[in-house]
Amino acid sequence: MLIPVWILDMLAGLMLAVAGVSAARLARARPWRRGTVITDTDVGHLLMAIAMAGMLTAGLRTLPGAAWVIVFGVLTCWFGYRVARDGRASGVRALAGRHCTPHLVHSGAMVYMFVALPPLAAASAGVAGMGSAGEALRYPSLAFVFALILAASTVWDLDQLSGRRYRLASGAVTVGCRIAMSVTMAFMLLIMI
Amino acid sequence: MSDLAVTSGRVAWRGKLGTESAPAAEAPDARRALQLGLAGVWLLDALLQYQSVMFSRAFGQMLAATATANPGVIARPITWDATLIEHHAVALNAVFATIQLLLGLGIALRPLTRFALAASVAWSLGVWWLGEGLGGVLNGTANPVSGAPGAVILYALLAVLLWPADRAGSAGEAEAAPFTAARAVGARAAQVLWLVLWLSLAWFALQPANRAPLALHDQLARQADGEPHWLAGIENGAAAVVGSHGLAVSIVLAAACVIVAAGVWLPRPAARAAVLLALVVAAAIWVVGQAFGMILAGGATDPNSGPLLALLALAYWPAKQRQARGERASSC
Repeated sequence: MLIPVWILDMLAGLMLAVAGVSAARLARARPWRRGTVITDTDVGHLLMAIAMAGMLTAGLRTLPGAAWVIVFGVLTCWFGYRVARDGRASGVRALAGRHCTPHLVHSGAMVYMFVALPPLAAASAGVAGMGSAGEALRYPSLAFVFALILAASTVWDLDQLSGRRYRLASGAVTVGCRIAMSVTMAFMLLIMI
Repeated sequence: MSDLAVTSGRVAWRGKLGTESAPAAEAPDARRALQLGLAGVWLLDALLQYQSVMFSRAFGQMLAATATANPGVIARPITWDATLIEHHAVALNAVFATIQLLLGLGIALRPLTRFALAASVAWSLGVWWLGEGLGGVLNGTANPVSGAPGAVILYALLAVLLWPADRAGSAGEAEAAPFTAARAVGARAAQVLWLVLWLSLAWFALQPANRAPLALHDQLARQADGEPHWLAGIENGAAAVVGSHGLAVSIVLAAACVIVAAGVWLPRPAARAAVLLALVVAAAIWVVGQAFGMILAGGATDPNSGPLLALLALAYWPAKQRQARGERASSC
């Protein structure tokens, strides 16, 4: 692969930063205490960031691809359930402003990436191994669709983040992490095609 | 917050899994929505620029090819630039991709929108010359089906038309712009730009190289190479339908472009029909003529002109009078 390693390493570093922020937010919620609430977005960000860092840099690999498929399959089902529930409660138009819809896309894209990576590339170094493995990505049209949605999600989040909506809200951190993940994920999907 | 408990009781994790509440979303006005569309295309463009083939000498060679048959004064800087990129492909492509990434992110960030739009005009003009050889306008290879007059010049045009200011013209004009594109430059200037663009597309469609009996057939058939099965099927099917009727198809396309060009000068119902036709032409060009910018085949530098023509068309969608006044009050 001709993409400079430092670009992949920088993005892996960004993902580790997202993982760190998400882990800190989870720890601050003190989940060992009865009755506390752990936000699903932080759990999702933590898992996705760790998995993506491993896909970008072989040295950061943690679990095998099959295990990640199960993890993100569960997350996709969870966020799908939340989106369906929100849609029933508030209407489809309200979904654009909620956190669950983009996380459903993120989880689905993660499942896709681990399923669509050719076996040789997946076994060697994730997206960094695509070129050297000499195999084509499976279902490239889906990669394009996901990348389009993620690009749209990124500009929407940036617009909302820089507007009045998040001026005083703690949700800005979540949205900032989501933007970093969306851009990185769209990057990975497009270089995999 | 959710009241769904995932785990509870005596295990280590006693918390509940919930969702962070989000403040209500701010709905952007029509111009801001189009700016975000432009930002999205820039973002996609930037991410495509990070593909591995762009870091190879092939990228420089691709740029060098655009110098062919251009006048010397245009071609020499292209050749110089392409040679430079061939020798420093990794560093320069990383810079190019990052600039485009920053343009996309900057347009989407409200405090940076003006700066990023202005920078995008300068960047687009440079790329139109040094990266696209002026879109083939001067060497007779411009073809609306393959992206004439050069996708990147449409980025610049959109940046100008979507500039976040309202023109202080005559009282009537300032009070209610007839469409979003008229807000920054005025209705007359926006109409002239639209007319020039679509008449030029009609002109390019009728050029000898594009109206030859098999020209369009061959072009569509070539697009199928390396594409997924379903998209190759569309390209091959379209090529079969066109067959040797390239001249007839070119005349139909040119006629559609002329109708679209005249549309914005017509009363509102007819103008809407013309803009709808523009959207149909843009979609047909992007899907059939450009195979989604050949992104799915790998190695595309941008999504090509289809999405930008569609964004332009939406910027000319005739607004209701009351809506136009309301948008003026909340400009970004």
